[in-house]
Amino acid sequence: MSDKSTFTNRCACGWEVSGSEDEVVDATIEHGRRIHNMEATREQVVAALHAPASGNSADEARRAG
Amino acid sequence: MSREPAGWDVDSPVQAEVFVVWHDGNRLQLTGPDGPQPWILQLGMTEHPVEVVDRIVRDVIGPPILVHSTSWRRDRDAVILSFVVVIDRLLVGEMASVPIARAELARSEATVAPREIATNAVVEHGLRHLAWLAKDDPVVAAELPRGWLPLLAEYVPEPFRNLG
Repeated sequence: MSDKSTFTNRCACGWEVSGSEDEVVDATIEHGRRIHNMEATREQVVAALHAPASGNSADEARRAG
Repeated sequence: MSREPAGWDVDSPVQAEVFVVWHDGNRLQLTGPDGPQPWILQLGMTEHPVEVVDRIVRDVIGPPILVHSTSWRRDRDAVILSFVVVIDRLLVGEMASVPIARAELARSEATVAPREIATNAVVEHGLRHLAWLAKDDPVVAAELPRGWLPLLAEYVPEPFRNLG
């Protein structure tokens, strides 16, 4: 069965993206690099996407964007 | 299924906070790629803050007229370097803007930083700093677009300073 999960990432600046994991990761890396001078790796973005919504585990991954 | 992250934000120990300002013919307006809110940039350990601000503004908005760091303070678990960036009105495009209103400055005590520093106080100080440069620095005075000098004359000139 294919994974049809939809992910959303929201930057503190108000920018938001939704889509597949790959789409969200690519868009987040591009947003962080272009708008905030942030170099985030795919692993860091994936870790933040999979972090609990109400927890602080996103801080374990490098925050960006 | 939808998953949302816990949060996503710039987190370097030194950050730039950019205020993009333009003159609409009557008054000064604040804008940026996400509207008039402060635009936060990551600053790497070996990067020069002015070069980063110039490069990112140039890439996202277009060539800036002036890039000046106007104050610093401790906030967001980091040292924040505030920049006023002057752009030509032709670069504003679809970016949301708000007129800049005058504000009270956040004044320090003799040996203690202000407890709270509002964004509009940082902008107020930034424009006072620009007012100081307009009188003290002939390059700034020459580069500022027409109409800026009379507006800046209404601000009390102040040098770069620590806001907190």
